[in-house]
Amino acid sequence: MNLLDGLWGVLDLLLVAVLLLLAMAAVLSSDRRRSMMLFIVFGLVLALVWARLHAPDIALAEAAIGAGLGGALLMATLRRDTHQQTDQFPQHPVVLWGVGVLVMVLGTAIAWGLFSVLPTVEQTWRKGAAVDAQLAFSGVSHPVTAVLLNFRAWDTLLELAVLLAAIFGIRALGYVRSAYVTEVAFSQLAVWLVPLLILMAGYVLWAGAHSPGGAFQAGALLAGAGILLRLAGYSHAGLPTTRWLVRLGLVAGTGVFLLVGLGLLGWGQGFLHYPIAYAKWWILLIEMLATVSIGMTLTLAFMGGIPQKEAA
Amino acid sequence: MNEAASVVWVISLPLLGALLATVWRQYAATIGWVSSALTAGCAVWLLWVVQRAGVQELALGGWEIGLGISLYADGLAAVMVLMSSLVVLGCSVYARHYFRAQRQHELFWPLWLLLATALNALFLAGDLFNVYVTLELLGISASALTALGAKRAALRAALRYLVVGLLGSMLYLMAITLLYAAYGTLNAVQIAEALQVDPLGWAALLLMLAGLALKMALFPLHFWLPPAHSNAPAPVSAALSALVVKAAFYLVVRLWFEVFAPLTTPLLANALGALGAMAVLWGSWSALRAERLKLLAAYSSVAQLGYLVMFFPLLAVLEGEARQWLFGAMVLFALSHAFAKSALFLAAGILLQYAGHDRIRELSGTTQALPLTTFVIALAGIALVGLPPSGAFLGKWYLLDAAFKTGQWWWVLVLVAGSLLATAYVFRLLGHAFGHLPAVKRPVVAATQEIPALALALLATFGLGLGAMSLWSWLAHTGTGAGL
Repeated sequence: MNLLDGLWGVLDLLLVAVLLLLAMAAVLSSDRRRSMMLFIVFGLVLALVWARLHAPDIALAEAAIGAGLGGALLMATLRRDTHQQTDQFPQHPVVLWGVGVLVMVLGTAIAWGLFSVLPTVEQTWRKGAAVDAQLAFSGVSHPVTAVLLNFRAWDTLLELAVLLAAIFGIRALGYVRSAYVTEVAFSQLAVWLVPLLILMAGYVLWAGAHSPGGAFQAGALLAGAGILLRLAGYSHAGLPTTRWLVRLGLVAGTGVFLLVGLGLLGWGQGFLHYPIAYAKWWILLIEMLATVSIGMTLTLAFMGGIPQKEAA
Repeated sequence: MNEAASVVWVISLPLLGALLATVWRQYAATIGWVSSALTAGCAVWLLWVVQRAGVQELALGGWEIGLGISLYADGLAAVMVLMSSLVVLGCSVYARHYFRAQRQHELFWPLWLLLATALNALFLAGDLFNVYVTLELLGISASALTALGAKRAALRAALRYLVVGLLGSMLYLMAITLLYAAYGTLNAVQIAEALQVDPLGWAALLLMLAGLALKMALFPLHFWLPPAHSNAPAPVSAALSALVVKAAFYLVVRLWFEVFAPLTTPLLANALGALGAMAVLWGSWSALRAERLKLLAAYSSVAQLGYLVMFFPLLAVLEGEARQWLFGAMVLFALSHAFAKSALFLAAGILLQYAGHDRIRELSGTTQALPLTTFVIALAGIALVGLPPSGAFLGKWYLLDAAFKTGQWWWVLVLVAGSLLATAYVFRLLGHAFGHLPAVKRPVVAATQEIPALALALLATFGLGLGAMSLWSWLAHTGTGAGL
């Protein structure tokens, strides 16, 4: 038993060391393509670290969104980058040293704070206890989903609005030239992978009620399907061809979330206060539509924003 | 419907508007100004509720506070929400006829209403992590709106704004992580009760201050503000300068006086005040040297935020009644700047549309062509210099008084120098605007553009100057629920 613990300890140290090295290499590399590759690998290792910290939900999200979709977005950006030049870091030594000193100060401050809290952190973990105590009344049995969709639903609602702002922000930056080359390999892959991804999204969404999973992970899987379709040459990436339907899909998650919240307020329950007996169904409804919105938003982010007239 | 519902509606209405404006693009402008008007109505309702029934605390979802998120409305929060809603309403009416390109029009309204949502949600958040989420929504919608300026400079400024905003949020998030690890709650009041003077508290305070100083463009972290605020479309510039930086300032006030109260020593307050003083001098000097009106207005914001921070060292040493009045004066100054600066940016937008440029040297004949717009600029100038009757005058006067009372005479020097520089840049601007040109044609300006600008300028001067006493007294005595 002790030997096993020791081995895990060595593995953990190794993971942390690799994580740090990857981060440094990604930042310091002067070649953009290599930086991005390193960043994607960094995301995957980070997912492993989350798994080791017994946070499977975050590990899933990190792998799917941080490494997977983030990587796809970075690659798409690189493809559109016409300059193809190496990065021009501020070469002035004063700037470099200044930034270095600031980062050192920051790191010291955080380390200082953390060391002072480490001895007592076990005792102060009150919040976890509160979540467990109230879990039975939340409508779901997985604590992370209970926090995201019930206890701290207001955060999640605003996060969905952040996604909406981001997708408009991409369009605000300008039009994207759609210069995709259809790749035969992808169309072969899409035939059997897309249905599988959609099925998996449905499972991950449903599983979120009692085990790791939920709307964000499911949405990321749907977006994976969308991106695959786009790469396989489907110009709409499986999204509706009617533009107003696309926009309706984008706001569906936030909209239903908000309307449920306000409806409960009007009904005398209080904003976002689900009645215990029906909490499960409200949460499921919100999560389903949020999955659709998240999947569409992320797919559109890859495509360069909401399609407009004569733009795409 | 119960009274606490007003807290929910001031956030939900603009969000609902944003969603509707996304789906029904053709009615986006109507949806935009109607929901802004309704939000402003609810903000008045909220202020009335807080004034009559005291602090409103709403545990969302019915969960105990700490497990769930709370919305928290005291006098300060309610006044901030009203300020933000009124400025947003003025800009919404103005924006209906401002955008010419279809693309800008379609993107503006959803983003604009999301910005309004984020502002009100931030002012009312009682939970420090929820504040982080609102900061994200605010930062992303604000930088996206900046990018609507369409020129290349606007895109560059918007991207820099985005990155700076993310950096600020990241610093703030690190501080929250530390606090949560130590105290196991994210609720502001609970953290304030549990807070101890230890390295963790110091680290958290410094991280939060650094992040928010970046977001409120406190000298020397103001480098991103002038390009972003001067290249955005007029209604966006107005909101950025009047409200978005003010939101970061509001958080600093909350954290400084309520959450981290045991840690805020006079030494730290003086360090902040010194940065504020430098911001006043540098911002005013740069405004005087600015070639363009919008750049002048942007640099003037750097200076005005400096004044707000200069209240801190004086609040740190004053006690009792005098301190409460000074606190009220600070809020009054912030309100006055919000209305004056938004009016100035809206007026600058009208000028830009009429003349095609905003180069200060070439503004001769403006008075003949656009008398009402020039009047707005003059009124806004009065409030920026701090002449009576304006809220800024009361704020500055009380700051001066406090500096003499506490014997910290050096702030007086900064105040005088800053005010003289402000007088110089306002009169330089008006001097050029009043220049006479023979045979100037009167352009057709939509009343929907000039009237909101005028209304905001009047609020900053006569509204907050002559009608300030009851508001000031109320803010001083019941401003914050924590009883300062």
